[in-house]
Amino acid sequence: MAGGRPLLRRLARWADRPATLLAPAGGWLVVFFLVPLLIMAAYSVMPRGTYGGVETGFTLEHYRRFFDPLYLDILRRTVVLSAVCTALCLVLGYPVAYLIARSGRWKNLLLVLVIVPFWTSFLVRTFAMIFLLRDTGLVNAVLLRLGLISEPLILLYTPFAVVTGLVYTFLPFMILPIYASLERMDGSLLEAGALLGAGPVARFRRITLPLSMPGVVAGCLLVFIPALGSFIPSDLLGGAKQMLIGNLVQNQFTAARNWPFGSAASLVVMAAVLVGVVAYLRSRDRAPGGGV
Amino acid sequence: MLSGRTSRWLGAAVGLVYLFLHLPLLILVAFSFNASRFSVDWTGFTLEWYRRLLERPDILHGLRNSLIVGGAATVIATVCGTLFALALGRHRFRGRRTLESLLYVPLVTPEIVVGISLLAFFAALGVALGLATIVIAHVAFSISFVAVVVRARLMGMDRSLEEAALTLGADEVTTFWRVTLPQLLPGVVAGGLLAFTLSFDDYVITSFVAGSGSSTLPVVIYGMVRRTVEPSINAISTIVLVVTTILIYAADRLSRGGAAR
Amino acid sequence: MTSDHPLLEALCAGTLPRREFVRRALAAGVGGGALASLLAACGPAERGDETIPAELERNLTIYNWADYIGEDTVAGFERETGVRVVYDTYESNEDLIAKLQAGARGYDLIVPSDYAVRVLRALDMLAPIDRTLLGHWGHLAPGFVDRPFDPGNRFTVPYLWGVAGLAYRSDRVPAPDSWAVFHDPTWRGKMTQLDDMREVIGGWLLYRGRSPNSRVPAELADAKTDALRAKRNLKSYLSSPVKTQLIAGDVWIAHLWNGDTAQARMEHPAIAFAVPREGGMIYLDSMAVPRTAPHKRAAHAFMDYVLRPDVAATIADRTGYGSPNADALALQQRPVRMDDTEALDRLQYQDDLGEATALWDRIWTEIKAG
Repeated sequence: MAGGRPLLRRLARWADRPATLLAPAGGWLVVFFLVPLLIMAAYSVMPRGTYGGVETGFTLEHYRRFFDPLYLDILRRTVVLSAVCTALCLVLGYPVAYLIARSGRWKNLLLVLVIVPFWTSFLVRTFAMIFLLRDTGLVNAVLLRLGLISEPLILLYTPFAVVTGLVYTFLPFMILPIYASLERMDGSLLEAGALLGAGPVARFRRITLPLSMPGVVAGCLLVFIPALGSFIPSDLLGGAKQMLIGNLVQNQFTAARNWPFGSAASLVVMAAVLVGVVAYLRSRDRAPGGGV
Repeated sequence: MLSGRTSRWLGAAVGLVYLFLHLPLLILVAFSFNASRFSVDWTGFTLEWYRRLLERPDILHGLRNSLIVGGAATVIATVCGTLFALALGRHRFRGRRTLESLLYVPLVTPEIVVGISLLAFFAALGVALGLATIVIAHVAFSISFVAVVVRARLMGMDRSLEEAALTLGADEVTTFWRVTLPQLLPGVVAGGLLAFTLSFDDYVITSFVAGSGSSTLPVVIYGMVRRTVEPSINAISTIVLVVTTILIYAADRLSRGGAAR
Repeated sequence: MTSDHPLLEALCAGTLPRREFVRRALAAGVGGGALASLLAACGPAERGDETIPAELERNLTIYNWADYIGEDTVAGFERETGVRVVYDTYESNEDLIAKLQAGARGYDLIVPSDYAVRVLRALDMLAPIDRTLLGHWGHLAPGFVDRPFDPGNRFTVPYLWGVAGLAYRSDRVPAPDSWAVFHDPTWRGKMTQLDDMREVIGGWLLYRGRSPNSRVPAELADAKTDALRAKRNLKSYLSSPVKTQLIAGDVWIAHLWNGDTAQARMEHPAIAFAVPREGGMIYLDSMAVPRTAPHKRAAHAFMDYVLRPDVAATIADRTGYGSPNADALALQQRPVRMDDTEALDRLQYQDDLGEATALWDRIWTEIKAG
């Protein structure tokens, strides 16, 4: 052992203390994540200047304004859209996760085929939808060529396009958590069930499904939360005709220059999200099979 | 297990879903070589659209910025995230639960909220927007991903090798450097690749905190998508797709390959 | 348990936030809110350096409308002066003002419209212009100089003027002559309006013979009803990106500016422009220098470059808009003259809305959300 070791070891021991290890990341998150959120909270209770910007003062008018039917309606519509998207992802995604968990040799290949779109740029995938659904896009071209329609279908710039785009973007977010929890499932439980005389449907309903619940809930959260805050699909695929809560907030921070109102709206959405997360935790505490 | 008929139906249904996931992207790539500008009729194979990309200063500029931001953000996020994961995985301390929660908050916060809160933060402090602010933002949301990936690797790691090394007389530094770190490395690299991918692909957060002349590639692409539907966008999308696929495949192999050892 | 897919663990690993966290977060939020208010209140009042340096800087950052410059203008300037130019674009005045207000400090040259100049002046965001550096000032036509939004041209240099009206495919639809064309279900799904609050609401105010700068709630409510009725027939709200859709035939009637229409016509001859009989919007865009601009001298050099008749002519020809440069008109291949538009008396300028901005914003939200 070299002579300079003791110093190095002292250094290493200092570095291995929790405080030192936590400081960089913790500090970064506190300064650049929490503090901005607090500043946003502060802005949400300050009055807006005539030309944008904020003035010193305290007011709850922005929150009051948000609880106006117009904006609550936008929130409601966004929640409904996100819920529809989540449900579709669940219906489409669960079978995929189930199959992958049971596919033995092909498991890794099938997984990679899901992971790759998962990490592909959101913009690229949205553009793929635009390319397909336009009036002069591929779907219409094929249908026209096959003689199934005589005029192009209006597919783009409709709620249908927005939902399709959202599902297309978020489907992998649903598949992967469900797969993870199905994979951990103890196969012997199913064998036991079979031995006890349960048929395949009963085995699925009473063993597989409940045990996969943590994954299902995680997947739903991973789809619902980002969908709630999204504004690009409704912008690019919806033709800027639908205003979702994400569009509203984005508009307040750009064209409308009403940061206090935008902050108030964001915080209300964040609160709604926290409620969802807390609900998830309570369901997990009660779910069989313990942690994911 | 499953009856033959059920598994065939299941297989067909799942096959369709896979098709849904991949076909649009494959079509996108295919049409980046189509000579026709507006219609989807195939008029010939061409690399014209790729060539045009090279002539566009905004794309090259955006690519340069994306690489700079991605590189910086990845290095910082990987280091910070790994250290954080080590702390969580190896030590017991007060406030551990709270810190764990702190780590997960970025994962459940909608991107738009992260973007606007940082915009408000920089504006309140009078910080000029530019490449640095983008890096700060990207690190803020990447740390959690890196930490979670490294932590998972840490949890799955076999401590017995370290214990053996210590028993055999190696000190902590040697043990860490020659036993722990090599085992941890695939997870760290996987986390780093993820952080880079997140940064390279990010549009929402970047759009809020970018300043003059600091547009990254996704910002340029967004502008292109809004303005026109022509095969140049297919071309740049294809390039982004290929790069991302390679990175993610590498990350996946690395994180899995290490576990087998 | 060993996981062989750490990537998946990234999604569903370990513990998620616990309830104590929620409680603590709320407490921190309330407490921190007070602290942060203090922080935010001591906001920045950073002033840029007012004096213009004697030496020409090496870099210049321009922030201009999309498709609003000649093909070779920037390259020509770079060749002549050796200044490196970074060129960013925006699609509406609101975007420009928002970006500047948010703290984007690196822009040396911007091109706001008339009412936006008023807003920027009220926010004290513009730097005064040094006329002595603009040797080619004399080429400007007197009608475009000394406008009400900037008396004496202390802050702005006129750039291009234009009109918002109806662009249409003459091979698909008969020439529209009224805003009411958007209420016609015959062209359902083939029409677009600009994604611009001032233009859309302003247009519908004009439709009923009102001022496009109205602050009267009843008039705005009528405009909203009209806009919503039109929305049912619209394909989307789209600004200059609609050009390619006109060319491709996805869109047949577009609410668009005359210059962008001319650009589209260069690629498809059957695209024409009309001003509705109830009236349209006319505007004058000017070059201005933000107070925080780091390269003011280079900005002036560029403005002077653009004031040269030959350069102004190529810009106007390429963009299809009207040049305020009297001597450029003679050099243009496709000049747009003030007197050509006999619609001149039907055209109105946009004005600053002041306090009424919040009301307009609400109406626009209602239109977009409806």
